Amino acid sequence: MTGMPVTLLSAALFGLGLYGTLTRRDLVAVLACVEIMLGAASLQLVAFARAANALGNGEALALVLVVLAAAEAAVGLGLVLATVKRTGKSRVEELTEVSG
Amino acid sequence: MSATVTFWLLGAFALAGAAAVVFSRDALRLVVGLGAFLLAVAGLYLYYGMGFLAAAQVFVYVGGVLVLVLFALLLLSRDGRGRLLAPGGFDLAAAAVAAGMAAVLALTLRDFRPPGAQAAQADLGATLLGPMLPAFELLGVLLLAALVATLVIVGGGERK
Amino acid sequence: MTALAAQPWLAVAVPLAVALLVVVAGRALGAGVAWLAMVAPASLLATGIALLGGPHSGNALSIPWLVQGDTSIRVGVLGDGLAALMLVVVGVVALMVMMFSIGYMADDPGYTRYFALLALFSAAMAGLVLAADLVALLVAWELVGACSYLLIGFWYRKPSAAAAAIKAFLVTHVGDAGMLLGIALFFVATGDVSLAGLRSAPAALGTGLTTVVALLLLLGAIGKSAQFPLHFWLPDAMEGPTPVSALIHAATMVAAGVFLIARLEPLFQASATASGVVLAVGAFTALMAATIAIAQSDIKKVLAYSTISQLGFMFAALGVGAWQAAIFHLVTHASFKALLFLGAGSVIHGTGSQELSDMGGLAKKMPLTAVTWIAGALALAGIPPLAGFFSKDVVVAAVLRGSPLAGLTLLLASLLTAFYIARATRLAFFGTYRGVAHPHESRWMMTGPLTVLAVGAVFLGAAGPAIERLLLTEPEPIELGVAVVAVLLAVAGGVFAWWRYAGGPVPAEAAPVGLWAALKGGYGYDGAIRRWVVRPVMAFAGGAYELGDRATVDGAAEGIGRLARRLGGLLALLQNGDAQWYAALIGAATVLLVAAALWAGR
Repeated sequence: MTGMPVTLLSAALFGLGLYGTLTRRDLVAVLACVEIMLGAASLQLVAFARAANALGNGEALALVLVVLAAAEAAVGLGLVLATVKRTGKSRVEELTEVSG
Repeated sequence: MSATVTFWLLGAFALAGAAAVVFSRDALRLVVGLGAFLLAVAGLYLYYGMGFLAAAQVFVYVGGVLVLVLFALLLLSRDGRGRLLAPGGFDLAAAAVAAGMAAVLALTLRDFRPPGAQAAQADLGATLLGPMLPAFELLGVLLLAALVATLVIVGGGERK
Repeated sequence: MTALAAQPWLAVAVPLAVALLVVVAGRALGAGVAWLAMVAPASLLATGIALLGGPHSGNALSIPWLVQGDTSIRVGVLGDGLAALMLVVVGVVALMVMMFSIGYMADDPGYTRYFALLALFSAAMAGLVLAADLVALLVAWELVGACSYLLIGFWYRKPSAAAAAIKAFLVTHVGDAGMLLGIALFFVATGDVSLAGLRSAPAALGTGLTTVVALLLLLGAIGKSAQFPLHFWLPDAMEGPTPVSALIHAATMVAAGVFLIARLEPLFQASATASGVVLAVGAFTALMAATIAIAQSDIKKVLAYSTISQLGFMFAALGVGAWQAAIFHLVTHASFKALLFLGAGSVIHGTGSQELSDMGGLAKKMPLTAVTWIAGALALAGIPPLAGFFSKDVVVAAVLRGSPLAGLTLLLASLLTAFYIARATRLAFFGTYRGVAHPHESRWMMTGPLTVLAVGAVFLGAAGPAIERLLLTEPEPIELGVAVVAVLLAVAGGVFAWWRYAGGPVPAEAAPVGLWAALKGGYGYDGAIRRWVVRPVMAFAGGAYELGDRATVDGAAEGIGRLARRLGGLLALLQNGDAQWYAALIGAATVLLVAAALWAGR
């Protein structure tokens, strides 16, 4: 029941999200891609919980992830807003202040 | 059989939504894609028999996060300006990294068998307030911190 | 007192603490810092006296140090009779020198530094004489050497003083290198460095190795005690303040070589070759340095070569196994030579010059200095019943028994000793004054110590039997024949000098030619060393520098530097400030690591 199908699916979703995170140049879009990676991870988690017959634990863990993601989204979007307000830039390639 | 069909349908739906988020040029299409992805994942939760989680996913993500993203995009939207994606060489490298990550994940988790549940507990509430109470409490703190942090970050810029 | 005898390490710890305190509180205390510093030698003296009364062997403290597996070096304190005697000698002389220095160094801007160094020297010297093993002894030995270096170069703005300090340090370390090798060899061969185990060491080492170890350790003693061929640093060391010369370069530190060989006596006893070398070095140095001393025009140089010569007497005694005689002479010599140096210091303080030709007739202007100086001079010349007579008699008699040739050499050296000290006395204190300054008697702060040391120089001869008994040997009666000959020779030398220099300096000596020039220049030893040792070494070092350092090491170092810059440039490309680029790197690294783990865990 578990094993290949859902693992393949979540791995593919994670890779897709990672690709977007790495390449999208819009800060909000990057955040959206991070959400996809988080979703992929919790999907895998739930699948494992199902397989292990530990519904409550898996669900609780996934719930924790959901809340984490919500908090991350709130703070992340807040940061984006503040950055834009301060610098007028919302694109990743413009934000290179830590350049070495 | 139908269960497998349901799974693959939902999976395809999620993949399509994710692809839209990653590749779409239009802001609204991105939001719609994200919504599709989130709903598909919620559906998969249901498929695994976790109704409450699916409901939470829908409420928190679709009702909260998605609306936030939408607001942010509408506030900041300057689409059509600049490149959608990073320059070619880096693009390919990122694709390689992402593909590698997916492959590695699949390979790692393929043979993973979660240990059988010692105390199979189906009651989410009992779990959260029982063995997972510390995590649950920490989540509360985290949410509060995130709330305050967001206010400070966004508000701080205004005061300056 | 009994507490001090039970805890002899206090003689090291207290002066060390005093030295630190002097450094810390020096500015606040001002001139009073000298009185604080005098606690250091006082603690040595108190410990020495306490140990004299207590058990003479035993009460050794021993702590394992540098533990490596099951090998360790035991470091400890050994408060036997020899150590007690040395502590008393060092304590008294250091105390007198410090007191004298209060007057002598009164106007020096480095007043605090001076007393801190003297206190530190006291601690080091106490550590040296109390050491119960060769490693602790070496540590103190080097610390003493470091103090000597710092005090010779005390007026470090004077180029000649700085050069003399470096010279002293380098030359003594030629010997110290040998000593270090000797200790290492001894440790490898016996697995023990304690002085207590020394008596059984020769059997374990075998004759050949015993000789090698003894000769290597002797090298250290030769360097420290300024014996031929490493004697030429001591005359230059007179660049330091005169009280320092009295303490370090006459009475205590330079006698450490004698002390070392006395401590290692079982080792030298077991090797006839090593003993023979000690005897030859001592007798030769005694005569050679005495001949040089007769031609010096600088009063401190006279005393410096005299010190080398007298240390040669002690070495000769050590060479025939009469180490108690050597230590007896060490004690009396410390008293009268410190006295002579301080007297010279008083004279220099009064006349502002070190040249004998600038002095003369000082007996009238500085009566107390003159009287004490003459007591020291008579003691040095070996005139009875002063201290030098007794100790020199014991030494010469013992050497005559062991080797007539060496004994005769020493007798000849005694003749010359009387000559040069009478010459210096006559030129400095009698006749008419030839200088430009207005000499005056020094204050009681300076004459007080002179008086104390003069008492020692006069009466210490009577302590001979007590000292020899303390060193666990039966006192020997005066050998009348030897004594009479020695005294006659000394009187002859003295009278001849008195007659020759009756009219002030001999003009021919101002522009010396022939033999006198050779004597005055120390046989050109310095020049020879420069020509045959220093220059080849410098040339070799220059070549090694060009080839080894510039070409190889610098080339490699600069090459590495350039490589690092290139790599840094490459790495800087990675840091382009693009967060996604960083994330991609993290992702790639994760993929690689997990892939590696997967591959490894197959």
